[in-house]
Amino acid sequence: MAAGKVFQFKLVLLGEAAVGKSSLVLRFVKGQFQEFQESTIGAAFLTQSVCLDDVTVKFEIWDTAGQERYNSLAPMYYRGAQAAIVVYDITNADTLARAKAWVKELQRQASPNIVIALAGNKCDLASKRAVDDEEAAQYAEDNGLLFLETSAKGAINVNEIFIAIAKKLPKNTVETRPAKPVVQIDEPSSSKKKGCC
Amino acid sequence: MDDKYDCIVLGTGLKECIISGLMSVERKKVLHMDRNDFYGGESASLTLDQLFQRFTDGQKPPESLGSSRDYQIDLIPKFIMANGALVNMLVFTGVNRYLEFKKVDGSFVMRGGKVYKVPATDVEALKSSLMGFFQKRKCKNFFAFAQNYDDADPSTHKGFNIDETPIKDIFEYYGLDDNTVEFIGHAVALNKDDSYLTRPARETFDRMKLYADSLARYGSSPYLYPLYGLGELPQGFARLSAIYGGTYMLQKPIEEVVYNDEGRVCGVKSEGEVAACDFVVGDPSYFPDKVRQTGSVVRCICILNHPIPSTDNAESCQIIVPQRQAGRNSDIYISCVSYAHNVAAPGKWIVLVSTTVETDNPLKELEPGFALLGEIEARFPSKDGVFITTSYDATTHFETSCDDVFKVYRAITGHDIDFDNPPRPDQDDE
Ligand SMILES: Nc1nc2c(ncn2[C@@H]2O[C@H](COP(=O)(O)OP(=O)(O)OP(=O)(O)O)[C@@H](O)[C@H]2O)c(=O)[nH]1
Ligand SMILES: [Mg+2]
Repeated sequence: MAAGKVFQFKLVLLGEAAVGKSSLVLRFVKGQFQEFQESTIGAAFLTQSVCLDDVTVKFEIWDTAGQERYNSLAPMYYRGAQAAIVVYDITNADTLARAKAWVKELQRQASPNIVIALAGNKCDLASKRAVDDEEAAQYAEDNGLLFLETSAKGAINVNEIFIAIAKKLPKNTVETRPAKPVVQIDEPSSSKKKGCC
Repeated sequence: MDDKYDCIVLGTGLKECIISGLMSVERKKVLHMDRNDFYGGESASLTLDQLFQRFTDGQKPPESLGSSRDYQIDLIPKFIMANGALVNMLVFTGVNRYLEFKKVDGSFVMRGGKVYKVPATDVEALKSSLMGFFQKRKCKNFFAFAQNYDDADPSTHKGFNIDETPIKDIFEYYGLDDNTVEFIGHAVALNKDDSYLTRPARETFDRMKLYADSLARYGSSPYLYPLYGLGELPQGFARLSAIYGGTYMLQKPIEEVVYNDEGRVCGVKSEGEVAACDFVVGDPSYFPDKVRQTGSVVRCICILNHPIPSTDNAESCQIIVPQRQAGRNSDIYISCVSYAHNVAAPGKWIVLVSTTVETDNPLKELEPGFALLGEIEARFPSKDGVFITTSYDATTHFETSCDDVFKVYRAITGHDIDFDNPPRPDQDDE
């Protein structure tokens, strides 16, 4: 069980409003679901780890904070991100179109090696299904994305999608880090503390 | 949009984004709009394609410069003082956790066409080749006096009252010559011109202390720089604002700021709709009839395929060319960053040369700066298209920008920022 090395990765969530981005994070990080999910005020990002055979993968999970609502997501959001989950709602076909646009944006703007997973969320609402899972799977395969249908409500495939990402992430080097150490800005008074990480 | 807000912020430059973030943290309802489809306004960083779009008539970047998206080129030449107000603000708000920073490798000053490392303490003064034997001693004594000056301990005052005595008199007392005064005043205290000489000494002491404390924090230079460029700073504070409930709308044409019968602001009109509010904060471009031009800064962006000569192969540095060295009234600033900060293609350096405009040929005024750079691979603007902006002053750091933020904050909330009580989010897991 003893997990050896710990690797930390930045993971961002993207997708149309109300598809369940925050709910997926809440399910994964806290094991909870809320019917009337309010946005988490003040949390820049949440962290949660998954243990693979011999390593621990620690995710620093960023949620959009609503900035994408009026096409106003800042590029710094996915800067340096090594993984992304692009979410759509299987009961709403428009949200898949939006998800595809996000994938394009990531391929254009984000780091070239980013691991992207497509999540067809709310799969508990099968009776209202508006997106064919085979169509989504095909699109994912054509674009080199991981794909799972998930339900934050029913706790279906939520841990699984994070584990799939964790497995696919390269764990040989801390590769996107620049060669020279990056300065950690601490509390103003702590100038004696080590300056680098 | 037709909601009522406590505060509407126009423009997503750094100052506006900090204010927006602080207001949202105070649980004010904030609407933040920008006419552009990108964050940052004048403090945005551009890709190579965007840079060519802006400064050439339709030229494509040459292949030798590498991939456009490797570039994040700043339009304003500023670094962050490691012990300054912006760092306090970053830590206070937690925005430091969204960004990564590197220290700037070196801080230099030009003298007689040559580049020297800036000595900032009594110990460094003794080692510096910038001064001759006797000046070194005198300079060391002066630094020691400034460093040890303690308001509470009159024995450290040497009979001076630094709230009254002009700094000039103290320089004279210590027998500093013009060259020594020049580097202390311009490269350590970071004054843009010589008007400080006749003002009380405390101002210069405070500035020297900021420089020395900042230098002490990470060594090598007093400055920090964010990976991916300065444009990340406004975006970081915008994210803070959004996390605390602020609403963001880019690419939003602003028709007018609306005033009520008493002449007090009451809303902002965009695309025919009026959003009501109690306060409006914006960069000067949103209030064209309310601003007065107070001076212009000329800037030129250079791309090099080598470090600046005589800077110890610095991946990043600042060089100050004091006014006298260039026969001018204001200093020329050179700031240099590189691929090491994820702002340029591998093997490329980005250098911004800037100064306050004094003549009607501003680009020529920058020439003493260009002369230090060695071969320049590309330059923007290339010929006559002068690139002048007024919304950020000519200083090389963000201290004055933060002063502006503090003023606006006080005007809106009626109190000062309580740096001892930072907002602590609902808890990010550790
Ligand atoms: N039935 C069902 N409802 C879900 C599921 N996931 C989320 N929801 C609901 O969908 C609504 C939106 O969920 P959020 O998690 O807030 O969605 P979001 O993508 O974060 O939305 P924004 O932050 O507004 O962009 C909430 O009412 C959730 O309870 C799911 O798997 N199944
Ligand atoms: Mg959400």
